[in-house]
Formats: sequence, structure tokens, C-alpha cells
Amino acid sequence: MSLRARLSETMRKKGGVRDHLTGFGLAVSYVAVLLSTVGGLGYARDEGFYYRAAQSYAGWFEQLFSNPSVAFGRQAVDAAWAANHEHPALVKSLFALSWKYLHQKWHVFAEEGTALRFGGMIFAGAALWLLYIWGTRARSRTAGLMAALLFALMPRVFYHSHLDCFDIPIATTWALCTYAYWRSLCQKSTWWAILTGIAFGLALDTKHNAWFLPMALLLHALLTQWRSIWSGLRIGDLRIPISLLAMAIIGPLTFFALWPWIWFDTIARLTAYVQFHLNHDYYNMVFFGVTYWRPPMPRGYAWVMTAATVPIVTLVLFGVGLWTSIRGWLGRLFARLRRATVPDPGSAGLLWLIGIAVAYAPWLSSNTPIFGGTKHWMTAYPFLCLFAGAGFDTVADRIRAVVRDRKKGMPDALVTAGLAAVVLSAPLAETAHSHPWGLSNYTPLVGGAPGAASLGLNRQFWGFTTGAVTDFLNKNMHHGDSVYIHDTAWDSWELLRRDGRLFAHVQGVTAPHAGSFALYHHEEHMEGVEYQIWQAYGTASPVYIGQYDGVPIIYVYERHRSGAR
Amino acid sequence: MKTAWLAFSVPLLATSELVAHLFFAHRAPTPDQWAASKPAVQAAYRPGQAVVIAPYWAEPMARWKFGDQLMPLRDVARPDMTRYPEAIEVSAMGARSPELEGWPVRSETKAGPLAIRTRINPKPVTVTFDFTDHVDPQSADVRIERGSSGSACTHTDSAPLESGGLGGPPTYPAARFRCASEPNYVFVGATIIEDQDYRPRRCIWSHPPPGAEMVTRFRSVPLGNVVRGHTGMGWLHERDGTGPSFTIRVFVDGNEVGSTKHWDGDGWKAFEIPLGLAAHTTADVEFRAAGANHVCFEADSR
Repeated sequence: MSLRARLSETMRKKGGVRDHLTGFGLAVSYVAVLLSTVGGLGYARDEGFYYRAAQSYAGWFEQLFSNPSVAFGRQAVDAAWAANHEHPALVKSLFALSWKYLHQKWHVFAEEGTALRFGGMIFAGAALWLLYIWGTRARSRTAGLMAALLFALMPRVFYHSHLDCFDIPIATTWALCTYAYWRSLCQKSTWWAILTGIAFGLALDTKHNAWFLPMALLLHALLTQWRSIWSGLRIGDLRIPISLLAMAIIGPLTFFALWPWIWFDTIARLTAYVQFHLNHDYYNMVFFGVTYWRPPMPRGYAWVMTAATVPIVTLVLFGVGLWTSIRGWLGRLFARLRRATVPDPGSAGLLWLIGIAVAYAPWLSSNTPIFGGTKHWMTAYPFLCLFAGAGFDTVADRIRAVVRDRKKGMPDALVTAGLAAVVLSAPLAETAHSHPWGLSNYTPLVGGAPGAASLGLNRQFWGFTTGAVTDFLNKNMHHGDSVYIHDTAWDSWELLRRDGRLFAHVQGVTAPHAGSFALYHHEEHMEGVEYQIWQAYGTASPVYIGQYDGVPIIYVYERHRSGAR
Repeated sequence: MKTAWLAFSVPLLATSELVAHLFFAHRAPTPDQWAASKPAVQAAYRPGQAVVIAPYWAEPMARWKFGDQLMPLRDVARPDMTRYPEAIEVSAMGARSPELEGWPVRSETKAGPLAIRTRINPKPVTVTFDFTDHVDPQSADVRIERGSSGSACTHTDSAPLESGGLGGPPTYPAARFRCASEPNYVFVGATIIEDQDYRPRRCIWSHPPPGAEMVTRFRSVPLGNVVRGHTGMGWLHERDGTGPSFTIRVFVDGNEVGSTKHWDGDGWKAFEIPLGLAAHTTADVEFRAAGANHVCFEADSR
């Protein structure tokens, strides 16, 4: 049996039905955890915008199912899909369908917000499934399982996994496309090549990060197949992987098919879409006590924020996994020099490394905005966790060997399980403790949330922490009172009310002076708003603070009340 | 075998991370601990002192639990620390306030995890008059001067409050000198802006109309040696550094004693004008603000 055939056989055994059932179980379990914890999480600004867009799209889907000929007409498309057309449609379409059917029609979810968010949670679950399968196929079941769990137990990932936003979906579709490409290489499979093209189209239709995906895969193809490509070019033959061709052809077609907005005035609308993101506003973001609102942005931002927010042990295992891969590459290089062959179809490690490098690459430029915190390079995290899973496998291997020498009869599985429990304890504790303050959470590397506050790192953005003061507002506001909602988007506020998290008598207003209560979501550049509240209300003393580990995050003021409470 | 043993550093690190997480999660004082420290702060506090919190990010917790009595708006939005003879520093996690650097500690007590220190200003001053405290008809009058013509602005305690939200102007207070036939932002009154460090600064909003001077006259002011103060616009407004400048000229009994120019992007900018022969007299003091921009200043005589 050839080496390729043996590898293919190994991959078939690892990654079969049993493993898919395990992956599915991981996905379902994670979604269940997300659903059970979603109630305390307020709605982020962008969720409100996508809520509005999803409502508009849902109307179009209804028309599509009842009167398709009208739905495909320009009038219907423009009317429904103009909403939030600065982002493509796939994920918002799922939000819309989930909201329409799981809330409105079938009443699976009592809350509109949860129905919307369910569309996003599915991607988070799917990411775990994918990581388990990929880690299992590329290394071992232990590596796959740890990759999935370490991803699930990143506090920032856990926060974003709850949302009806695009950041976890793009991390998932990016990884899916990369995985399909890898499978197509490993197995020379046209089927997987076609899936690569489709997955790329889904990624394109999820978020603009996908524009960088072809670079990553092309680079991988050039590095791993340069001999074949070069010899082909010499005889006028283009020998690039068929999956890349599929990406070039099927990807854009899928993207086009799933985004009705670009069915008409295609060039103009696509140009506007691209221009929007190439010329995006620079929102404010604080970093080491300095608020940045225009270039040059700090080049160290992405690295420092990753180090400060990803559990330390996950980063260390990533380092072990990466080093193990590098050692493997060096070994193969030496072997090749000695005319020996140690084939490595697919070069998974290199693909993961390129996936990370390309995801972080935009932040090598000081012109790249940093306002999104860690979410904008979250596409790197699945690969980071795949390395970490592989790193765990290496560490477990060494420890099992030592234990076998010293304690004969100790089952390997027990050692591995014990080690996994120890390794996962900190990520689990940090992630559980981070909820519902996901964006305020920092690892012990920077002293947790208090240490990050002392260092001048961002405490939150998006105004989602309103969810942490709803009980206070419900209890302390009376009929006739109103509250200034500050950074809460109006649609996000309304969603809290429609879901019943805010009682009907809790009315919102959009100017500090207009309310009898006021919220202030602390971000350094918004301090002026807090001072407006002080002056308007005649007090610098909040009546309540939503705090995380002693760090003030969201403050509530009440007019004409002073003195300590 | 060495590398095999090295592998044990991973579970060791994981355990250390867990312990460190638990430590840091409980390191900062809780709301109850802030509340419990209030009696000790009250016992140490004397009128005229400022309560200063270290680290600064914890200050909202103190404002919440100590209240306006110990941390009134006037002191929380202070122009700087120079006017205070003493300060009560409430310190969490061993932090020290940079504002009190060089201030000797007179006494220190503990209240749970918080340290409460009375610290002495090594260079105390006597403020004879705080202009920001006297933007009222008993002490001041306001007019707009365009060339040789002037129009008086009248004081009210019940003007409609206005606040612009993020990126907007500061709150237009209910108590202010309003100027007839002028836009709402043309008034004189005390408000709060944010400085270049996004710290609160209480100041006298004095936005002149285009081509005119906003003149605020304080009557019978007991003067010290200097008129000292700060100018600012609100940092979000001026941080691009591309807007116009403004000037404030200071007159004592009708004679100009000095001026200060504020360029867009200067932030919270200090000025000090010696009073010369007018020192230690009682006189009328005028601040004449000119320039088409957000104008806010605070001043005292000392």
C-alpha cells in the first residue's frame, strides 16, 4: 500500500462516523451552554443593527416562499436587502430565518434576541465540531478534542459565540474553507475541491475577512507544491491545486447567489461594499492608557491583546505545538537532504501557521483600525487551538512515558484525562468567570481585569453591559422615569424591552439631560459623556455600578440624588 | 528524558494560572469593602481637603460609596491639586496617586484592603478668590461686546439643560448667563469638560459669538499675587488640532494685566498672570474671551 493510500486509510478511520458523532456532541453541548448563559448578556450595538436587518430580510424570505417571482424582482430585493448592505447576507439571513421560524412561527425561543443569536451560536458549535475532526485527522483524537475545548474555553470566544454577529461565523467559515482545501490536497479529491469553493463563497458571504483567504491558501500551495507548479509552468501547464480553481470560480458564484443585494447594480454595489471597508472609520480604542482614533495605530496591539486575553496555558500549548511542527519540518528537510522521503501530504501545520499569519497580517500595518478589540483576528484562533491541541498531544505523550516508567499499570487514558483536566482548569475557570463581562476579561498575565485597568487596557465596547444593570433599572425606575441609554444602540435597547428583560415602564432616551436616570458605559474617550451627566444631574455619585472584579464597567446615575448608597 | 520532565511544566503552569486567576479576581476591593471604609474616610476628612483615589480607575467605586458629601463635583472635577492644602488619599492594591507625588504622609489608617492616608501639600497656597465658584449675579455680570456696542446677558437659574452626548458640547447648565438673540451655546456658566487625559475639569463656558468678545466681569474681587487658571475646549472637540484658537484677556479695574491664547489641541492649558501693583487689592476683574470656538476657562487669584 502506498504512503498516500495508508494516510488516506488512517484519515478515514480517524474522522469516521464515530468521530463525527463526537464532534456533533461537542457542538450541541456548546450551543446548549451558550443558550443556557445567554439570558444575562445584554445586546451589543451591532446586534441591534443586525436585528433590524434580519427583520427586513425575514420579510423577503416570506415573500420568497409565498411568491418567488415577485421576491426575485428588483423592487422586492432593494426594499428588503438595502438594510445593512455594508455587510454580506449569509449570517444575517440565518438570523432572519431563525427569528422568523424559531421565534415567530414555532415559538422554540421565547425571546427574539435568543432566536437571532441562535443563528450565530450554530457557527460556534460547528467550529468545535470542525476543530475536533481536523485535529483528529491531522494528529490524534486527543489533539482534536483539546483543540475544540481550548477554543471553546477562550473567554473572548465564549462571549462572541453568544452574539448575532459575524466574528465567530467568519472564524468558522474561514477554518471550514481551509479544512476543505486541506482535504482536497490530502486526498486529491475533486469533491473536496468543490466544497472548498463553496466554503469560500460562504466565507465571502459572511464577512470581508474572507478577502484574505485566497492569499493564505495560495501561499500554502506555492510553498508545498512549488516543484510541481514550477515544472508545469516550464511546459506551459498551470498545475495549481484544483481547489484553488474552485475557489476562484465557485466561491464568487456562491457569494453572488446568496446575497440578493448584489443581484442588481452588481459592480456599483460591490464597489461600494469594498470601499466601505477599505475606508472604514477609525473608532476610538484605548491601549496602555492612550486612546487611538487615527493612524498610526500601535503595531503591538494585536499581539499584546492576544497575550492578555487568551488563557496562558493555551498560548503555551500553542507554542509547544508550533515548535513540534517546526521540528518536524526541519527533520523532513534534513531527511530530504539525505535523499530520504518523509512525505507530509496536506502540510497541516504549515497551513495552520499561514492561517494565523494571514489573520494577523493586517495589524502589521499601523493604518489598520484596532477598534474591534480581539474579534477582528479571531479567524486565527481555530488554528492557534489546533496547534495547542497538537501541543497537548506532545506533552501528554512525554508525561505518559514518564508515568509508564515510574508507575507501571497506570492506564494511559487516565493520565491523559488527568492532564487534560488540569490543563483545562484555568481556561474553564476564566471563561466561566468572564460571563457576562466577556470584553472586560483579562488573563492573569496582565493581572486580570484590575491589572488591565491599571495598564490602561480597554474595559468594554459596544455598550452590551446594559444587560448587567437591567435588574437595577427594573427595580428602581418608576412610571414616568426615563433613562439615558448612552452607548446602547436603540435597536439593542428595544430588543431588551421586547424580550422582557427590561420592564415596560423603563423608558429610554438618547440625550443625557432628557432622562431621570442615565447609563454610562466606561470607555476613556466617552468620559465627556459622564461629565455631561454630572453637570445635568448635579451629582458625581452613581447610584449603582456594574463592576467586574472590582473594576467599574457601567455606571447608573439618578437625577437629583446624591450622597452615598 | 530531560524533555520528558520538562513536559510537567505545562500542568504546573496550568495550576499556577488557575491560582493566579483566583488571586487577581479577588484582588480589588469589593463594593462592600468600599462602603465599609467610608467611616474611616469621614473621620479623616476635613473641609477643604480633596479625596483622591488610587488607582484612578477605582474612583467611580469611591464616588458611589462615599457620595457627594466626601467627593463633591467641585472637587472631583478640580483644575489641579495645587489649591488644596491637604488630601485624603484612599489607596487600593498599594497604588499611589501621581497627583500627590511629593506630598508627605501625615497619617495613615487601614480600612480592610484600603489604606487611607492624609497627605500634606508641600507648597500650600491661599486662594483668595475662585472665579468658577462665583458665576452668579451676586458676583458677576456678563456682556457681549462687538466693537463699541455691547449687550448684556442676563442670569437665570432655570435655563433648559442641554447635553450633546458623545462628541457633543458639554452640558449647558440651568444656571447661566444667557445672551438674547444668540444661539444657545453662547452663554457664560460653569460646566465640565474633559481634558487631554479625559479627566473632568470644571470651568466657565464662555463661548463668544463670531467677531465679538464675551466679557465676564467679577466685582470686588479680593486679589492675591496672581490670576492663575486653565483654558480648554473639551478634548474630543480639540484633539484634531485643526480648529481655530481663542484668546482670553484679563483686565483688573479696566487695565489689561495679561492674556492667554489657547490653540486647538492644547488640552487643559495652565496660565498665570502676575498682578503687579494690583496684587492684594480688591478690584473688578474682567475676562474677555474672543475666538470662534468652544471656550472654557477656570481661574482663581492666589
